[in-house]
Amino acid sequence: MKFEHTVELPAARDRVWAFVMDVPSVAKCVPGLEGLEDLGGDKYRATMKVRVGPIGLALKSDLSIVEKDEAAGRAVLAVDAADKRIGGAVKAQMTMELGGTSPASTTLKIVTDAQVLGRIGDFGQPIIRKKADQTVGEIVENMKKALSTNPVG
Amino acid sequence: MTTFDYHEPASLAEALSLFKKYGDDAQLIAGGTNLVIMMRQGLVQPKHVIGMRKLRELRGIAPTAQGGIEIGALTTHREVERSAMVARFFPALCETFGHVATVRIRNQATIGGNVVHADPAQDPPPMLLALNAEIVVASDGKSRTIPTTEFFRDFFEVALESGEIVTAVRIPPQPSGVKGTYVKFLPQSKDDYATVAVAVVMKLGSGGTCEDIRIGLGALGPTPLRAPKTEAALKGKKLTDKIVAEAAALVRDEVDPLDDIRGSAKYKREMARVWTERAIKSLIK
Amino acid sequence: MSTHNIQFELNGQKRTVSVEAGRLLIDLLRYDCGLTGTKEGCSVGVCGACSVIIDGEVTSACLTPAVFVDGSSVTTVEGLAKDGELTPLQDAFIRKGGFQCGICTSGQLMSATALLQSNPHPSVDEIKAWMMGNLCRCTGYYQIVEAIQAAAEASA
Repeated sequence: MKFEHTVELPAARDRVWAFVMDVPSVAKCVPGLEGLEDLGGDKYRATMKVRVGPIGLALKSDLSIVEKDEAAGRAVLAVDAADKRIGGAVKAQMTMELGGTSPASTTLKIVTDAQVLGRIGDFGQPIIRKKADQTVGEIVENMKKALSTNPVG
Repeated sequence: MTTFDYHEPASLAEALSLFKKYGDDAQLIAGGTNLVIMMRQGLVQPKHVIGMRKLRELRGIAPTAQGGIEIGALTTHREVERSAMVARFFPALCETFGHVATVRIRNQATIGGNVVHADPAQDPPPMLLALNAEIVVASDGKSRTIPTTEFFRDFFEVALESGEIVTAVRIPPQPSGVKGTYVKFLPQSKDDYATVAVAVVMKLGSGGTCEDIRIGLGALGPTPLRAPKTEAALKGKKLTDKIVAEAAALVRDEVDPLDDIRGSAKYKREMARVWTERAIKSLIK
Repeated sequence: MSTHNIQFELNGQKRTVSVEAGRLLIDLLRYDCGLTGTKEGCSVGVCGACSVIIDGEVTSACLTPAVFVDGSSVTTVEGLAKDGELTPLQDAFIRKGGFQCGICTSGQLMSATALLQSNPHPSVDEIKAWMMGNLCRCTGYYQIVEAIQAAAEASA
């Protein structure tokens, strides 16, 4: 499943880039993300807790920044997550691109390409898609809030 | 199935106390038609299951002092379908429950279990919305009512706090002379959920003027929906074919369907318009 | 896993069994009680192969926890014939060819028995509406409907 989110972030481009590369800061914007560990070499581990009705997932996730190009304002994050207890997995690639010309705001575009596998995938792809779409939307809104409440960066 | 402890409280008070005690480690089981499947598939793995079958006080249908009806949460779909009281109160509600699955499921599944499951494609909720029903909820120490318009929050998500148990669905008195219909558009049999479902509750005055109209929509969004713009376009108007067709067209902007095995979002949007129009017209006699 | 002592009536006989919380009725019947007439088809309550009658109501044994039958009366296909004498419905299924491979037949018989108990002279539409939850891959359903009609007539 593929979806796109675009948001105007209230900060200059270099500040936005610094924020996006600061994984712990971005992690705070992700609802349900806990226990972030820095494994070095742009690799991280965390647990993402998600609920769809009565089904609660604890997705143990491996995150790695596989591409970063500051000049082009582009970064790619690979996510490999699984909940062995429920029997499901999520593999995703999130491509982030910075754009925009104003000194006080930058456009951030996130293209997410995700696959949901196993039992949770069987549950109902369209509902999962909607939930995933909602979650990325929340992340992006939280990033906007984080950047507007922290003028020093 | 994973291991769990089963508890069968003898009273609502005991059930609430157990539910509060075990919190997120517990799941309630009413009829079990949904929970048993999820547990067999490993999607839900509670450490404690609290069975409600002994809570007789939550089963049954009774009139309310205001002239409406109250359906206990543990009343089965079949009981509502066959209830003489419900048939006198609002026959289309019996029919709505009769549309659910098979007679076996209807014998086992309860109205309480139905509303808390909150699958937007289920049959009863659109009609409950159109009837302005409320959900009666108990927790340790108090009870409250939640309008159905606020109860359904998202796919499989309802406005219940931790430890709360649905005890009844309360339907207010309806204006005299009101009529209703429930349309379940099921063009294929991949499963028994509607591609589009429309519930209409309407009162026609003299001369064919719409005095009151409420439209409940199912399988058209993350929750069952009302159609306020469509309703507003019909209220107070003399219902000619043209007025009904124009109003029904507004439904397209009030829904947010998914592309899935039951149809594309585009198809569902169009079918919402078609079946809203047909449902309303079927009540104009 | 908690265990529970349940007492219930099975095909007219009183039974006391100790079951684990997670035990389903289909498994209780087939493995603990040795009654393999009830079949498990889909495991999600859709196909009807596991239909049994509990306290007069037809139910899916694959979705019923065993603990739920405590204090209840359960009838399976083995409980239909009395002293070797087939019911008019069972007889009609044979005469009308209402089965081929037989895997859905127990469920068909239980659902139809419940139908005729609730409505002794159903119309064809009523038969189809009631029986719509019992799937059959062999017969094409016509002979099942005819068998139920014949049984209804035989009991007139």
